Amino acid sequence: MSTQTRPKQPRSKRPATKFFGPAAMSFPTWAYALFFFIIPLALIVFYSFGYKPDQFTAIATDHLSFDRYPEAMSASFVSTFFATLRISLLGTLLCLLIALPFAYWLAIKVAPARRSLALALVMVPFWTNFLVRTLGWQIMLSPDGFLSNWMQSLGLLDGPLDILYTRTAVQIGVVYNYLPLMILPLFVAIDASGKKLREASYDLGAGKVKTFLRVTLPMAMPGVVSGCLLVFIPLNGDYVTATVLGGASGSMVGQLIANQFNTAQNWAVGAAMAMILIISTLVVVGVGFALLKLGQTITARLNSVPLHDGRA
Amino acid sequence: MTTTVTTETTQPTGFDHLEIQGVKKVFGENTAIERLDLTVRKGEFLSLLGPSGCGKTTLLRMIAGFETPTDGAILLAGKDIVSLPPHRRPVNTVFQSYLLFPHMNIADNIAYGLKQAKVPKPEIAQRVRESLELVQMEDFAGRRPEQLSGGQQQRIALARALVNRPQVLLLDEPMSALDRKLREEMQLELKRLHTKLDTTFVFVTHDQDEALAMSDRIVVMYDGVIQQIGSGEDIYANPHNGFVAGFIGKQNFIPAEVAATDSTTATLRTANAVLTAPTLTLRPATAAGEPRPLEIGDRVRAAIRPERMHVAPAGENSGEANTARGSVISYSFLGDVIQYMISVGDNDEILARVPAAGREPISAGTEVELSWDVDAVAVYDGEPGALGAAREGGA
Repeated sequence: MSTQTRPKQPRSKRPATKFFGPAAMSFPTWAYALFFFIIPLALIVFYSFGYKPDQFTAIATDHLSFDRYPEAMSASFVSTFFATLRISLLGTLLCLLIALPFAYWLAIKVAPARRSLALALVMVPFWTNFLVRTLGWQIMLSPDGFLSNWMQSLGLLDGPLDILYTRTAVQIGVVYNYLPLMILPLFVAIDASGKKLREASYDLGAGKVKTFLRVTLPMAMPGVVSGCLLVFIPLNGDYVTATVLGGASGSMVGQLIANQFNTAQNWAVGAAMAMILIISTLVVVGVGFALLKLGQTITARLNSVPLHDGRA
Repeated sequence: MTTTVTTETTQPTGFDHLEIQGVKKVFGENTAIERLDLTVRKGEFLSLLGPSGCGKTTLLRMIAGFETPTDGAILLAGKDIVSLPPHRRPVNTVFQSYLLFPHMNIADNIAYGLKQAKVPKPEIAQRVRESLELVQMEDFAGRRPEQLSGGQQQRIALARALVNRPQVLLLDEPMSALDRKLREEMQLELKRLHTKLDTTFVFVTHDQDEALAMSDRIVVMYDGVIQQIGSGEDIYANPHNGFVAGFIGKQNFIPAEVAATDSTTATLRTANAVLTAPTLTLRPATAAGEPRPLEIGDRVRAAIRPERMHVAPAGENSGEANTARGSVISYSFLGDVIQYMISVGDNDEILARVPAAGREPISAGTEVELSWDVDAVAVYDGEPGALGAAREGGA
């Protein structure tokens, strides 16, 4: 070993890091996660084992039990729960079906100079207050609203429009509200797959449809997945849209949970319902991922070339 | 090991295979290609050579179908293919950035074109294996493109194009991203494949060494116009215009005025010397002009290749007709040759390359006598400023 004295390598460029250590310097990140995610979630888990002791107290945790879970799963909760799941799954699917051609058009057909305008048109409603734009749909869908009047005067409808305060209205509302969250990741993913790879595909004899199915879509799959997650997870817990547009027949599970916390002041049952919602959302997402992987494995098997000698 | 990836057509080599007739391409207000005619023979290795922006890539993209000509026809084996979309054309492209599909393994990348053509699966497997052998990448079938080096990806891109047995293989600067050594290896590889497969290759490059090393014929392009078509030797030794003279190889251009003419030679007067040219023809600056007879008083450029210059210490008479006095500014030893930068007169520089052959380089500051054969001089029309690639010199 050399006996030369070398200047000691500085272990860190910032003296503050050296002084406080990396844990302290990353305080904003972990504190955010701790105070705004882990602690609230832990409280919900904890409260779901508690009970409502009397009319004027929302929660007591002096003895813990699983009793709130069966209590939460009343017949009306279960039916609302499955209705919600249906709205979320269908809503995610509809968002995907609408966003896919739109994002393709935006990423591939629109001239780059006009793209930011088109993206702004997608984003501006999204930046508008959630409640305001949902109320807009309430006005539009109401039986004596302009849409109803127009459709009647054009002879498309015999009587007034009968959509408001139904599950259909909620479905329309959530697709409208969450669509930008699907368009953006899809646009980014399709844009990233690039014109040049599509040209390579055309050059090798694939037409536009084949190129989309074999190159653009597989390469955009990460965008499809993140778009579905961004839409499905918040949609499953949404209660504003259902409150404004759903009425009695179109309620969602988020409303029931909000009722327990705000109206009934029964935090234990509300927390148990929230836990059921969180866990079931995770299960659905997990099943979705498994189906996706299965589908990808099957298509890969069908499409790959067997070289018969163990190389491929 | 029998590798039989060959074209299935029976036309003999040399048949006019790909004909570009009066093709013009305009982008907005820019004319990329100006009414271009070109015939590519079957089985030929043809290079499109020119500086960037000369239209060579646009021409290639029109053959591939990615661009539509504004005017004109492109005939492949006698049929106009202009109206065919890229996926219907029996040509394949090797792209500059390889463009392997990142979500497929190597075997699936190569099989892609065959699947589109609905080739039966056992045959696909067979042909994929053969083309992997052809580019010596048999062991990489199951790898992902990102696991391969640039040179390896380039081989796969070649295999992916060749496996379809295209009537014409288009190569769009396929080696520009490779380092020098790898590029030279790939040049040999490509030449070997071309000899073996007998497919028509149209190769786009801005690298003259690459074009000279591989091509049967070179098409020199500049500003959307073909400047000259010919073999490498022909283009180097006999440039038809000033652009080609300056673009291929190095060149000393010396501004001069025609002082006198006799029956076969012209006498040119430069700022610092008088030289004799073996010609009475003035070649144009670019292909836009026509050759015309030299006339006394014409302002021209005399062109002499650096390797045609002889350099000797001052006072040693070489006996050549053309001589000039100068002093060595600098020299660089390039292994096989020594390259001198020699100043002649005031601030004018001449490039000379002499075989090293064990001789001691003449050191900087030494007075020397430059001489050259009368045959070494060619005469081109003026306007040197427009020709960016040409090396300008004056004496």
